[in-house]
Amino acid sequence: MRAFIAVFVARYKQFVRNRGALFFSFLFPIIFILLFGWAFQNMNTQTFKVGLSDEGSPRTTSYITQGLESVVIQTNLKEFKTQSGNLADLLSALKNGSLDAVIVIPNGMDTLSPGQSGNIQVYYDASLMENQQTLIPAIYQVINAIDQQLGGYTPFISVQQKSVQSHQLRYIDFLLPGVLGMTLMFIGVQGGLPIIQQRQAHIIKRLGSTPLPRSMLVLGDVVFRIIVVLLSAALIILVGRLVFNVRMVGNWLSLCGIVLLGSLVLVNLGYVIAAFVKTQESAMPIVQIVDLPMMILSGTFFPIGSMPAFIEPLVKILPLTYLNDALRQIMVAGTPLYSMTTDIAVLAAWAVVTLAVTIRFFRWD
Amino acid sequence: MPEEIVVEVKDLVKAYGDVKAVKGISFNIAKGEVFGMLGPNGAGKSTTVEIIEGLRRADSGSATVLGINISKDTKTVKERIGVQSQSPALFPDLQVKELINFFRSLYKKSVLTSQIIDLASLQESRDILFRNLSGGQQQRLSVALAFVNDPEIIVLDEPTTGLDPQARRAMWEVIENFRNSGKTVLLTTHYMEEAQRLCDRIAIMDYGKIIALSSPQQLIESNIKENAIQFKMKEYPGDQVLASLPDVTKVIKAGDDIVIYTSNIPTAIAGLLGLASQRSTELSELSVRQATLEDVFLKLTGKRIRD
Repeated sequence: MRAFIAVFVARYKQFVRNRGALFFSFLFPIIFILLFGWAFQNMNTQTFKVGLSDEGSPRTTSYITQGLESVVIQTNLKEFKTQSGNLADLLSALKNGSLDAVIVIPNGMDTLSPGQSGNIQVYYDASLMENQQTLIPAIYQVINAIDQQLGGYTPFISVQQKSVQSHQLRYIDFLLPGVLGMTLMFIGVQGGLPIIQQRQAHIIKRLGSTPLPRSMLVLGDVVFRIIVVLLSAALIILVGRLVFNVRMVGNWLSLCGIVLLGSLVLVNLGYVIAAFVKTQESAMPIVQIVDLPMMILSGTFFPIGSMPAFIEPLVKILPLTYLNDALRQIMVAGTPLYSMTTDIAVLAAWAVVTLAVTIRFFRWD
Repeated sequence: MPEEIVVEVKDLVKAYGDVKAVKGISFNIAKGEVFGMLGPNGAGKSTTVEIIEGLRRADSGSATVLGINISKDTKTVKERIGVQSQSPALFPDLQVKELINFFRSLYKKSVLTSQIIDLASLQESRDILFRNLSGGQQQRLSVALAFVNDPEIIVLDEPTTGLDPQARRAMWEVIENFRNSGKTVLLTTHYMEEAQRLCDRIAIMDYGKIIALSSPQQLIESNIKENAIQFKMKEYPGDQVLASLPDVTKVIKAGDDIVIYTSNIPTAIAGLLGLASQRSTELSELSVRQATLEDVFLKLTGKRIRD
């Protein structure tokens, strides 16, 4: 135990004194999130999609439809698209993010006489800034205009707001799990470098002449890196939440499980590199050869569907593809683990293969 | 009192692929002695030492340390011996005191951090990162760490390589103090002076074999009865000519240095001076000395140790 703590503490001190490792584990993912998050802030939200549920007032409904469709919000270049349907369908579309708001026009609106008032309901996700600032004021304006056109001085349409938590998928929601996967890859794969360096500098040999068992050396290293991985993941999720209001929808334990499984594969991959590469000088480019294509091809920044077809076979074997997918499913859609058996099976297979290769080919001297 | 054997090596063989590094060597080390292994690079010293340390396994033969067969219970042996490896190989991003504490916690028994700092004479540098120490400081720390577990035997692989003469002498004192406390030292070196000063017995190794094993004095006396005259000559007249000078028994040329051995210094020098003036060639750096281990090594292997 004393030896384990010693290895762990030594590993920790070297880590915090190594700017490169600190940068790639913590700062780099945050820079990525902020940069991409802000740059693509308006992606996917060019158009507000509004569902209209006509409960028996076709005339009012068509007024509101025409009114909304004619609105152009000049400053943000946003516009409205409407669709009609029954309330239940529209509300579920709102919840999964394919609609931004649902307006319910109750029966009897067409035949209101002065003095009477009707009640139009608007469902939307109040937690999204976009809605508070642009969507709702615009809907109010349109309805007020129709109201004034129809009636006299007393408004006979009142608007009732209804809040609904929707899972509208913004780019940042898509990006964040990808950046998390990418960071796990950096921490894992680059972890092969200190091992190669210590072997090359005969440090591992020097330790071999002490009673320290080698298993303790590996354990100290792996446990330390798992803690780095968890800290980095927590930081990424925290920044996403605070800066972009990205919500982790799924189960935290499932997320930890997938993070650990993915880390196991990627840490092993670092050891596989250390098994075949003898010098630090040649290890650097090889780490990049492993890291870069995975980063680009595994759906970190863009959906895999947008890749050219000839790359697809490569995409389909990379472990990061499945890790990113699993992380995304948990964080964005809250998918339970039993519904992502493919991801888990492929990652587990990678873990077994990389472990076997490490055991077979890794040499301490 | 019969001397207690603390290291016993029997018929040790080790090959790396096709290269036979150690070709069947045997020796014993008694408690309290400084045992030296002397030889050029590639002679098999480090391999032998690494087998004794439990870092490598012998292909055949055995090494017994403190009565324990090293291939059977490596861990117990490692607890009780102190080791310094050839290159000062320690975590570059740890401070001196952190490194010492790290090594202390690897052993069941350890001495105080300050003792190791004193041994390495690094009192002013305890908070310095290993990477920022000078080469000599790194080497001193590396050797001092061999003492961290209060060992019964220390194994030092070229402990003074890379040290300046002053630091080398300081290191010799450290080793002598350790020996004077009744403990045992196994060291490898390619410094003749070091071997001659420190070692009670020396095994001279070449091409994986021990070619001579005795005390330094005996090695010299049994191999070379003569004195050595060493010099440089602008035009080398050839072994034959020098060997035919009066009372010269052997001629060895190693690089620019020429050494002739004689039992009669005045006649040999007179002959040499006569030859130089007769050939009008320049004679320089002439010295007359007792034969040293270097001469023994030259005689046994035909080469200088550091070539």
